[in-house]
Amino acid sequence: MAEAPSRPTVLIVEDEPEIRRFLRAVFGAEGYRVVESATGRRGSIDATTHKPDVAIVDLGLPDVDGIEVIRTIRQWSPMPIIVLSARIQERAKVEALDNGADDYVTKPFGVAELLARVRAALRHAVRSGAGTSTLRFGDAVVDLERRVASQGSKAVHLTPIEFRLLTTLAKHLGMVVTHRQLLTQVWGPTHERDTHYLRIYMKQLREKLEVDPVRPRHLLTETGLGYRLVADG
Amino acid sequence: MSPRFDLVNIAMVYLLAVVIVALRFPHGPAIVASLLGVAAFDFLFVPPRGTLTVDDIQYALTFAIMLAVAVIISRLVETVRRHADEQASLEIRAETERIRSALLASISHDLRTPLAVMAGASSSLATSGERLSAPERQALAESVFNQSRELSEHLAKILQMTRLEVGTVAVERDWSALSEIVGSALALHTERLAQHRVIVEVPTDLPLVRVDATLIEQALGNLLENCAKHTPPGTIVRIRAQARDADLLVTVEDYSGGLSEKDLERVFAKFHRGSVESGGTDIGLGLAICRAIVRLHGGQAWADRVPAGGTAFRFTLPLEEVPSVPTEPVPH
Repeated sequence: MAEAPSRPTVLIVEDEPEIRRFLRAVFGAEGYRVVESATGRRGSIDATTHKPDVAIVDLGLPDVDGIEVIRTIRQWSPMPIIVLSARIQERAKVEALDNGADDYVTKPFGVAELLARVRAALRHAVRSGAGTSTLRFGDAVVDLERRVASQGSKAVHLTPIEFRLLTTLAKHLGMVVTHRQLLTQVWGPTHERDTHYLRIYMKQLREKLEVDPVRPRHLLTETGLGYRLVADG
Repeated sequence: MSPRFDLVNIAMVYLLAVVIVALRFPHGPAIVASLLGVAAFDFLFVPPRGTLTVDDIQYALTFAIMLAVAVIISRLVETVRRHADEQASLEIRAETERIRSALLASISHDLRTPLAVMAGASSSLATSGERLSAPERQALAESVFNQSRELSEHLAKILQMTRLEVGTVAVERDWSALSEIVGSALALHTERLAQHRVIVEVPTDLPLVRVDATLIEQALGNLLENCAKHTPPGTIVRIRAQARDADLLVTVEDYSGGLSEKDLERVFAKFHRGSVESGGTDIGLGLAICRAIVRLHGGQAWADRVPAGGTAFRFTLPLEEVPSVPTEPVPH
């Protein structure tokens, strides 16, 4: 194949031709190879044959539920999946994320937002193999391996749970992690509904690592969904 | 004075009573009252007194007239009453119709304006894009984007208001930190509030509230948006929250002029429009949605005046006992 390795492939599973049209134009202009599927079944097949680097899946597909497509892809591939959802589909968004989607963009969206999400997802896919242990955001530096943290010039003490929480967010740097994912990974599956744990520990983390804990720039709230850690805020 | 004349007068008093009863009560009671009146008159005054028998057959005519008067008056009153009711309901219907068409006119204006800009700007790009300079093309494209966002927000508000009124909004309560909701609502409205001076006085250690955070973020966001749209640039907007005995009080204050006593209540009405200071339009649903959401959560939303000049928009959220969080052993 003549494909340069630097030219990533994006799979777009979307039934609206007009939306596919501008996505094709913009991803083409950004140097992506674009594969389009108009139905969910086609999308699941195209994912196996084209082996894209990232998939964009609309949640409102006519044939099968977008969540089905995500589950099918997740059975064999860790490729980043970004869902497109209408504003009214709050529940579907959480379900998609809990079923393996990495991020979401709400329709109607600006292309800049979608491109930023795709880039973050691709960076994440590259990085997850490497495993960086030092996390830098704002004035905070956290060594996840040696478990030391500092904010500005002063050392910060983080409790074991705060470390686990931060590590879980850092594993998905730049992407949203749902309440349920955080609760199961930090506290265990029996605590997946104990959202109040999360609220208390996120507050503590922000007080230790954010300049203004009420208006955080890195440990962001995704209301109704979960949290997102962004390094370059 | 002859006793006969006396009796006629008494009959007149009874007749008056029958008329009054017929005026004030429906048909049935009026007839009953007149029958009782006739019986009482007969028993007490018509010789032989103390019995219901009648000496003079003339009295039969008196009784008949009293009864007839009662029936006629109560019929008349009933007819008049029914006409008045019909008139009132017709007027209400006309008023509702008038409000509805005014709403439709203003909604369609709010929706049509961004559509007109989008159609104009995008057709300019499509037909004469090549003859336009790059900055001109950029400006047109941006205006299509901005107007589409505005339109999308109007539609979202109309849809949300409808869903709140029909009662199809599912409230998904979960433990939430108000400081987080304030933070994310501010982040969502950064652009809109860029010209305002925002002061946040929200402690992070407020008790958690069991609410639908998405809805409360919307309610708070609508208050912020309202301040941004209706106060001039440079205005101080202060967000405060405090825990009281049974609830959390959240306040968004702006320090610019303030509303009249009348407007303080009216601002929460659907489609109420004040003057819009910033660019763009206001469909007049933001505060109505805010109040509906807060009420769904068992709270109150209102506005009052800030003594220094300005308006405070406030809402409350009921507090519940927060389940405990196991503490980690403190190291060292």
